[in-house]
Parts: sequence; C-alpha cells; structure tokens
Amino acid sequence: MTKRIYFSVGLLSASIIAFQLTLMQLLSIIQWSHFAYMVISVALLGFGASGTLLAITRRWFVRHIKFCLPVLMILSGVSMSLIMLISTTVFGSFDSYLLFVDRSQITGLLIAYFAFFIPFFLGALALGLVYIHYTENIGRLYFADLLGSGIGGLLVLIFFWVLYPAQLPSAIALFPVISGMLIIPVKYRIRSVPFLILALITPLILVFSPPSLPVSQYKSLSMAMNLPDAEIVIKRSSPYGQLDVVRSPALRYAPGLSLNYRGTVPVRDIIFSNGNWFGPVVEWHRSDTTHFIDYTTNALPYHIRQPSNVLLLDSGTGLFAAHALTRGVDNITTVEQNRIATGLLTNDLAAKIDSMFHLPAINNARIHSRSYLLADDSRYDLIVLPTSESFGGTSGINALEEQYIMTLEALDEMWNRLSDDGMIAVTAWMDYPPRNTLKLLSTLAETHEKNSTSPVEKHLAAIRGWGTISFVLKKSPLTPAHTENIRNFSNSMFFDPVLLPDLSDDERSVYNQLEDDAFFGYIDRIMSGDRESFYREYDFNIRPATDNIPYFSQFLKLSRYNRMQEIFGQSTVPFLEIGYLVVLLTFFQITAAAVILILVPLLVIGWTGGGKLYTVLHFSGIGLGFMFIEITLIQQFILYFGNPIYAAAAVLSGMLICSGAGSLVSSKLNTGRRDIIRVLSMVIFFIIIYIILLTPLLRMTMNLSLLPKIFLSIVFISPAAFFMGMPFPLGLRKLSGINPTLLPWAWGINGCLSVISTALATIIAVEAGYLWVMLIAALSYGLTLIANVIKT
Amino acid sequence: MKTLFVILLIFLNLPLVSQDYDKLRDNMVRRQIRSRGISHRLTLEAMRNVERHLFVPTAQRRRAYDDGPIPIGYGQTISQPYIVAYMTQLVNPRPGDRVLEIGAGSGYQAAVLGEIVEQVYTIEIIPELGARAGKLLSDLGYGNIEVVIGDGYYGLEDQGPFDAIVVTAAAEYIPPPLVEQLKDGGKMVIPVGSPFMVQTLMLVEKKGDRITTKNLMPVRFVPFTRD
Repeated sequence: MTKRIYFSVGLLSASIIAFQLTLMQLLSIIQWSHFAYMVISVALLGFGASGTLLAITRRWFVRHIKFCLPVLMILSGVSMSLIMLISTTVFGSFDSYLLFVDRSQITGLLIAYFAFFIPFFLGALALGLVYIHYTENIGRLYFADLLGSGIGGLLVLIFFWVLYPAQLPSAIALFPVISGMLIIPVKYRIRSVPFLILALITPLILVFSPPSLPVSQYKSLSMAMNLPDAEIVIKRSSPYGQLDVVRSPALRYAPGLSLNYRGTVPVRDIIFSNGNWFGPVVEWHRSDTTHFIDYTTNALPYHIRQPSNVLLLDSGTGLFAAHALTRGVDNITTVEQNRIATGLLTNDLAAKIDSMFHLPAINNARIHSRSYLLADDSRYDLIVLPTSESFGGTSGINALEEQYIMTLEALDEMWNRLSDDGMIAVTAWMDYPPRNTLKLLSTLAETHEKNSTSPVEKHLAAIRGWGTISFVLKKSPLTPAHTENIRNFSNSMFFDPVLLPDLSDDERSVYNQLEDDAFFGYIDRIMSGDRESFYREYDFNIRPATDNIPYFSQFLKLSRYNRMQEIFGQSTVPFLEIGYLVVLLTFFQITAAAVILILVPLLVIGWTGGGKLYTVLHFSGIGLGFMFIEITLIQQFILYFGNPIYAAAAVLSGMLICSGAGSLVSSKLNTGRRDIIRVLSMVIFFIIIYIILLTPLLRMTMNLSLLPKIFLSIVFISPAAFFMGMPFPLGLRKLSGINPTLLPWAWGINGCLSVISTALATIIAVEAGYLWVMLIAALSYGLTLIANVIKT
Repeated sequence: MKTLFVILLIFLNLPLVSQDYDKLRDNMVRRQIRSRGISHRLTLEAMRNVERHLFVPTAQRRRAYDDGPIPIGYGQTISQPYIVAYMTQLVNPRPGDRVLEIGAGSGYQAAVLGEIVEQVYTIEIIPELGARAGKLLSDLGYGNIEVVIGDGYYGLEDQGPFDAIVVTAAAEYIPPPLVEQLKDGGKMVIPVGSPFMVQTLMLVEKKGDRITTKNLMPVRFVPFTRD
C-alpha cells in the first residue's frame, strides 16, 4: 500500500461531501429543497449499495483492486461532471410539483434517483474497497476519509462564492479524477493517458460552459420570467443560494391591498432566492408621505400607538422599514441574515430605495433574528414579525423549516424586549382550512398568559381584510380609545375587526364574509381557557412551536391523514403539506431499499453465525447515533452563530475532523472488549452532557463575537466527536479478526443506517422534539455497547 | 414483426381516436358539476357545449374530462371543470352581459362564458398562451370573444364597465382599475389557493361606494367544522 492512498481517500471523501452539498443547492434551484432532500437521500444509499455489492463480489474486487480502485474513483468523478447534462434531460419533462397529480412523473423521479445515485455509489465502492482490503490501517484511512470530508465541507463554501451552481458539479468532479490518477499502478500509466485526458477535459469543458439549469415552470422565478419583457438584471451566487433580481413592467407588489385603495400599484423589481420568492425591492423616497402598507391590515399597530423604536425581524428587502420611515419612526432596527440580499439593497439597488439602509434612523443587523433577540437588551415600542405564509399557500413546502422566531421561547424574548406599552405585530394570509392563522393566535395568546396575569382578551387585537389577518399583542391593555381607532381604520379600509376587547359577533364580517364561520369559533376557543382540548380535537397541529419542536409551519397530524383524504380527496391532500409528506415518503423508500440492501448479501454469506449479530448491532448503532448527533448539533448551532451556513460548516467540519482525530488515535487501542466499551461509554456520557448542558452553555455565551464562538464551538463539539470517530474503525478491526467476509456488509449497514437516520431524525424531531433525537442517539450507541458486551 | 407493432400501436392509440368526448362531457356535467350543486341552467348548458378536450395539450386529452386541473405549460393550468362551472355560476352571467376575464390561459373559461353572454374580453399576459387561446377560440367560431395580450392590471377601460369580471389568475392584490371598471351591482370572482390545492373562491360585489367580499369554499369539500 502506497502512502498516496491516504491522500486519494481524503480527496475522494472531500469531493463526495462537496458534491452532496452542491446537489442540495442545485436541486433546490431547479425544483424545491424538499425534493432535493428526497433525491439525495436515495442517492446516498449508494453507500449501502456499495457494501452490498462488495459483500457479494468481495474476492473479485480484492483481486483486481489495483485496477478497480483508480477506475472507480475516476468514474465517480466523470459521473459527477455529467450529472448536469443528465439532469437537463431528466428535468426537461419532469416536475416534482406534479408528482401527486400525474403518475407519469414517477418515471422521471426514478430516472433522477438513478442518475444521482451513480456518483455516490462509485465513490462509496472505492472507499469500501479500501476499507475491506487495508483493514489493518483502518484508523489512518478513516482519519483521511473524515479529514477530507471536513475539508470538503469547508471548500464547497468557498466554491459557492466563486462559481455558479451549474459549474460546481464539474469543478468538484476534478477531485475524484485526480484522486484516481494518483494511485494508478505504474504498469497501467502509459495506457491510461488518453482516458485520463478525457476524464479531465470533460469536467473542465463543463465548468467553462455549463448547461443552463432547467428550472421548474412552477417556481416563482419561472412564473416571473414568463411576464412580458422580464429580465434578470442581477445574479449572485453564494452559500446563501442563488439570488436573481427580476425586472418587468408587469411585476407589481401590494399584498392584501384594501379594496378602497384608488392609487396605482407601482412596478417593482423582485428578488428571488434559489428561484423562490425572497422579496420586492420597495421603491421609496425620503419625500414620500404615504405608503401602500397604510392600505393593508399591516398598518394596524400604527393605529393603536405611534411607536418611536421599531424592531423588524427577518426584515427581508425592507418593505416594513420603508413603511415605518414614512410613518415618521426615527429609530428602526432591521434584522436580516441574508447578507447577499441586504448587500444588493445597500449597494446595487440603493438608488431605487433612496439609500434607505444608510439613513441614521435605520440600524442594520445582519444575523439570524433569534440570535439578535438573544444578544440584544434594547426596548422597543413595536416588534414586527414577517408576514406568515404566502398568498395562495405554499402547499406546505416549508413545513419542515425550523422557524426559531416563531417559537414560544422567541415570543417570550420579544415580550421582554417590549417597552411598557410595546406591541408585537404579525400578519398572515388567510388559509383554508385554517391552520397558520390559528397557530399564530395560539402562540400570541400563550405568550401573553405566560408573561402577564391580565386577561388576554384585553391585550389582543386582530383585523381581517379580503385576504390577510393582522394580529397585535400589546403589553399594556388596549383602551377604549385604541379600539375606536381600530374600528375607524377598519371601516375606512373595508376591513373587519376579529379580536377587540369589546367586540360583538356581528362586527366580524361586515365587509368580508366567510362561508364557514367556524373560523370565529376556533378563534374564540383559543382565546378561552379551553385551548388545550381544542389543540387535541382540531384536525391540524396548531399547538405553538417551541425550540424543541421549531416547525411552525408543520400542521399535519398523521393520525388524521385518512380523515383529510375523505374531506379533500386523495390528490389534494399531498398539497396540504408536501414538505412533511416527502420526508415520510423518503423514509419509507430508503428504509425499504436499505432492508433489501442489507439482506441480499446474506444470500451469499449465509444467514447465521460468524459475528453477524455483532455486525448488525455495532454498525447500525453507530450509523444512527452519529447522524442523530450531527443533525441535532447543527440545529443547536444555527441559533448560536445566527447563520445556518456557518452552523452547518462549523458542526460538519468540526465533527468530521475531530472524529478523524479519534479514528487516528483508535489505531493505538486494541479491539478487546474493554477499550471499545470505554470508548462507547464516553460517547454516551458526552451525549448526556449535551442533553443537560449544551443549550444553557450556548445561551450563556451567545453575546460573544464570532472568533470566540468558533473556538467555543470546537470545545463543545470536539470531545464527543473525538470518541465518536473511534467505534467504526475499532469495529472493523475487530470484525476482521472475527470474520473478514463481513467487512463489506458492515460498511453497507453503516451506510444504510446513516441515510435512514437523516429522515428518521427529522420525523422524531417533528413528532417529539430534538431532545428525543439526542436520547435516541444515546440509545443507539447503547445498542453498539451491548453488541460489544455480548460475547461474540 | 412489423405488423405486430402496427397492431400494438393501433391498440394503444384506440382509446384516443374512439373516445366519445360528448359522452365524457355529459358525464362530467352530471357527476362533477350538477351533483355538487351547480344549478345555473346556462352554465350547465355551456359546460356541456364547450369541447374541453380541445383546450388541453394533446398529450393530456385522455384526462380532459377528469375531475382535476391539468397543466397547460408556463406554470399555468386549465382549472378543474367544477371550479370553472362554479366561477361562472357565481357571476350569474346572462345573455346581453359584457364580461371581462383576466388570465385567458387555455381559453376554456372564456369559451364557457362566451356561450352565455354577449361579449367576452379576455386578457392574457403570456403572449404564447394568449396567441394559442386566440387562435383556438377563433377556429371554434367564438366571434364574441376577444383575446387581448397584455397586462391584466389595467383591465380594459375603453370597453368597460363590465357586468362581471372573472379573474382566473389571482394576484396578491386586486388591481384598483378592475374595481373601477366593475358596474354598480357587478360581481368579480377570484380564486385563492395554489392550483392543485384547495381553491377557495372570493366574490367581490360593488354596491355604490361600498365593496364587500365573500370567501366561498368549493362545495366539493365538506365544510371544515368540528363536531
């Protein structure tokens, strides 16, 4: 074995993780992130499948390893670079949006699965082959693998800044090609030159002239580009996604505008992120005295009390900031984490908004809104949350988006930032069946009850237009003067009050009638003490989100799925909450495939004896446990860094590199029961420490600047990750002593369970919360511990 | 061998060439529309007369009379037959009326309205869709339907006011010019909801200076109430 193999393994692993993150971005642009999740999860089964193939054909591969290894690496690279061409063909006629209404789309889905599976399968086959052949060096090899993966995760972030998404797969494809070239045996070198040139040139050509991305016709960007004279005037690529600024004389924006508005609705540029709506560029001038927001229900808080300090969370493109300026507010704080979008507004598009973000009245914070709340101690007269849901609904695409500014803990923090007469305001699109609107109200009502003894009905106001409803939660009670102002405003705009301290039922639908008045009954039940029983009875989950279960837009109760089908029909129900259903579908698909992939090798290697129980328990336990911890840590660190990209990079790279170090040290341990049990006990110990201490420790150090935070995150992550890197190489070494024919099977089991764990962790988090994900991670490592306690 | 292929091809295509579209249409009206409470006689007649399969892409003709929306390209759909009938009934069209439609799409809704009223103007912002709908409606002999390619925001001031306005492609706001171009006592209907989801319809009524709205859920669905 040459020393080059370590470098090759590292390079290949770097490319696999970089390719995975790139595909996530790419498919999120072409289709949607939930679809990207499904396709990539299935594609990652390539790891499991490689184990299956190796288990069946181990001898042949080992005999031809010198030839096979470089070929597999090079082919993995070539298939990565060709993926763009394949996806252009696949997505020409396929659209994930139509999956539930047009069965012919299933063929397209299967082709997509297969196309994206190939590079992972080939890469994993190469890695698996290395592990089963050079098991005595597994500690160092696994170190190279994890170190490479960690570096790959960081490297792709740099790539996102300098290359467009369509160029990325081909750029990354060069890595495995080079890794393969490095280990070509001398006797093949001359003969392989033409193939190597082809393997290098193909990705290079595709980097410099990438095919155009076949974006779904149902994405907001495609719809906007169908408008007359629509053009993309600015395009930016970054780890935040691809931003496109679209201009067209027919692009207008005035959400929920009163039917009493007689002015013109001006044309605006619109910013799209990964092909999805991000926000309008609000044309604004310092001389403006009116704003169209005054003709929407969003203006409600300004008719209760004129604020002096306003905090705008997830402020997007600054629509509410422009409104606040027009209303004469002289101290406005905007919090928006997408630095690329805000950069456009402060530079390229600044003239359109009269350099609004440079005004002394505006303070700009460019971090996650929740992190800002945790670190800030100012007082505000008004805190405005972003508009909840979108017009026409999102079909539940965002169901599994972690919305940390919509949790009860976040609302508590907002309450504590309010001045004595301060208000929290939020607007939502009316939805049918009512879900989002009701969860908003239950969140506001519970926040009030937790923080005040005064009756909630004295503090909550809501008005409804033809399409939107705005809520205001006021710290001090609403006075008769306030309610009179609200009534006058509602009347003048053809809006209807929904919640006021002295409201009568017949006032609720004077201008805007609902055919199903049950909505008001739901509102009243949430406002009454009967809330808990209503949460249980209602067909959707409208219990407020918490930091433990931060999925505000997740409404589907699995126990009521059949009832939903009866009411809405089989083809409609998926569009109620496509995001969660896709995760469930993914889980069932990959679990079924994984069971087959795990069982098939048994036909060749026999069903019983020879350490099979040990293999199953040890490798499935660490496969599940490692990913559960990784996912939970990413979730915890999103708030800590105030930025999901930094969080993912810190956790992924930190964990992989520290685990790599653990793997390296594991070479010095022996594979006897005592050492393995000690290692596993340490892993379980640190998981329990995380469960108890991680959240408070992160909160305590939230105010620190970025560098100390990075240092602390490494301190928090490294001990557990260090020990978590040991059980895999130790297990393989131990197995090679028991029954080496099981090595590829172990590799496959670990791969399959790692993939299943991502979907399973999400389902557990939705149904029970992240605390349970951590607990189950500890139990999984407990399973591995049991495997090592049982006498093999 | 070749003969076998020809027979196979004929067999596979048989349902397309021999489908009795009249019968399918009649079934559609009885099972999807009348049974769900649509009783407006002129609407039912129009739905029975307009050959819906001509308004969907050729590859989708088999599904033309299915109980659901069908993609027509450019991210647009031809609405579920029931929704078209429901929207038509809501504006209570009568012979002699002048109706404005925003969002011609396939042209199907305009054809249904064209069967009933004196004049239909339909505006389509996507030129390719507008041209396709215009040609089809003209080929089918709908002389009382004018397809205008342009921005529906402005309506058609010189042709208004209208007895009814049917907005098939809803936006996040209702353009003020459309409200202006609605006759006193006129009705405007707008769908709310993503195309494949639960579409609720909103009826806007203008009475003098007062404008009211009513959200109507398609009766296809059981009202979402608790026991």
